[in-house]
Amino acid sequence: MDNNFLVIENISKSFGDNKVLENINLNISKSEFFGLLGSSGSGKTTLLRILGGFEKPDTGRVILDGMDITNLEPFDRPLNYMFQSYALFPHLNVFNNLAFGIKENFTQKEIEINVRNIAELLSIEHLLNRRIKQLSGGEQQRVALGRCLIKKPKLLLLDEPLAALDKKLRSKTQLELTTLQKKLKITFVFVTHDQEEAMSLSDRMAIMKNGLILECSSPEEIYENPKSLYTANFIGIANIIEIYKKDENFYSDDLGINFKLNKELKNTKTNILLRPEKIKIQSINNLKTSSFNSFSGEILEKSYLGSFTRYEIKIKSMIISVLDQNFNSNSNYNFPKGEKVICSWESESIKVLED
Amino acid sequence: MKNKLFEKYFVFSPYFWLVLFFFIPLAIIFKISISVSEWGMPPYQDIFLFDNGFKINTTFENYVYIFSDYYYIGSFVNSLILALISTFFCLLIGFPLAFYIATSNIRLRNILLVLVVIPFWSSFLLRVYAWKIILQNNGILNVILLNLGITSEPLQLLYNQYAVIMGIVYTYLPLMILPLYGYLNKFDLNLIEASKDLGLNRIKTFFKVILPLSVPGIVAGSLLVFIPVVGEFIIPEMLGGSDRLYYGKILWEEFFVNRNWPGASALAFSGIIILVLPIVIFQILYSRWSEKNEI
Repeated sequence: MDNNFLVIENISKSFGDNKVLENINLNISKSEFFGLLGSSGSGKTTLLRILGGFEKPDTGRVILDGMDITNLEPFDRPLNYMFQSYALFPHLNVFNNLAFGIKENFTQKEIEINVRNIAELLSIEHLLNRRIKQLSGGEQQRVALGRCLIKKPKLLLLDEPLAALDKKLRSKTQLELTTLQKKLKITFVFVTHDQEEAMSLSDRMAIMKNGLILECSSPEEIYENPKSLYTANFIGIANIIEIYKKDENFYSDDLGINFKLNKELKNTKTNILLRPEKIKIQSINNLKTSSFNSFSGEILEKSYLGSFTRYEIKIKSMIISVLDQNFNSNSNYNFPKGEKVICSWESESIKVLED
Repeated sequence: MKNKLFEKYFVFSPYFWLVLFFFIPLAIIFKISISVSEWGMPPYQDIFLFDNGFKINTTFENYVYIFSDYYYIGSFVNSLILALISTFFCLLIGFPLAFYIATSNIRLRNILLVLVVIPFWSSFLLRVYAWKIILQNNGILNVILLNLGITSEPLQLLYNQYAVIMGIVYTYLPLMILPLYGYLNKFDLNLIEASKDLGLNRIKTFFKVILPLSVPGIVAGSLLVFIPVVGEFIIPEMLGGSDRLYYGKILWEEFFVNRNWPGASALAFSGIIILVLPIVIFQILYSRWSEKNEI
């Protein structure tokens, strides 16, 4: 695949003394659904606004489909931007909002056909005569999306596309958005602070912090093999344990147990990541404690979350999170608070964070 | 219960104000305007006479007099034209200023707002008088023009309708800027970006997005300038010449020079009706329109 469809090259941006973006480099392929994930102040929205043409970068270039668009005005760029607030025109009805961007170059009849088609695609045909204030949040989101898509952009930029929707609607819209994107094959770049949203929408995503890209990969790769401590903590629940080399094995003072790794380490001391769902939890009666990759602890907290149960297990000075899938419909299957249990994991599940 | 009563009256207090300071004086003016004029103090006869039994002593002669002489109608038309031109220039200068203030950062915004309001802190008469000094034959402007060799003799800048327009635009500009600012302040700047993103350049964005959404602010500011300018008396008196007569000046002369109180009242009352009725109708139509368009 051509992964030079959108090239972001050495982009830096400061507002006064505040460095917002530092030397950003990204290559995004055609038809990719790309996520920029970061907490507020990470520079993700500034980067998106630079792509949209609303901010000028201090250094660097943006190349879209072989064309340098760095110095083009927003109205000259073959891309569209969906605002977090949707920015729908309150003085126009839905039809005219959708037609806003194509009125210039199309005849009345063509406009009519295009608006109908896009409205059909987004199932908003029945709303065309409504005013913006008469729409629900979800309907507004569709109109905002339609207003961009009607222009058949090469690239669609979405600023927190689902943030304004309530939780139930959000997961439904998430699915629709991915389906739509795969169908239209338009390259989508979106910004979000919600890691679940980033993971479920993105083909690939970049984790941003303080104006830097920490990691850029597929959601699976970032979740399973994060390169940095920050990413490991930022995405999902993470048990971070410090270990050091002791004789043949690795030892954790906090847990008082040995770890067996299936690879060699560069450093003698490092952090490891153990995702909570990788830990098997068993009754203490079933098993003896193994000499490595396992410990026995006491259940401190327990929260039943339907499809799984989350335990906080205390061992020595540390608390380890464990997610246990509820295979059994028998509620007795769950371990009660205060019970002693044995936790164990495979060597492959231990991810070394070398940074 | 007592509180509720208070609230009830409190809500109606603007209406008390309106009745006390608008409708009652208006009624008095109307009463004088239909009285018969005479030499004396006050210079009109009572409208109810009781000497030889009860008699109503009214006349519409004053109105006939006003409307049959183009001197009066003409001055009113002059004032309307003056108000239209002044409002137009206030809008032309005020809109970009208000927009700039509304979209600048908070610190700059506060400084600019203070700058807009500062002229109000000094006497209005003094400020208009200052323009007289600037524009007069040996005034600063003429001295500069002469020294730069742009003109060989002083220009007659004062005592004409252009000086009046300039003075009015200068004086009334804050009344245009402030309501416009109040409205533009709430303007969602993303709408401008969205318009540009959808392919409209700056000029098209202005006419398709900014202007239609600013209509309420433009209407408020324009009315605030237009209405008082129609009756403006001091600025034409100080900066204007004999080339054009304005309504405010004629009214003043009729009252205080000719001591024709009934005639002047008829003129004042007609002016208010001619001015207020269309504006009330406009306001009703406009509020219906803006309700429909949800602006």
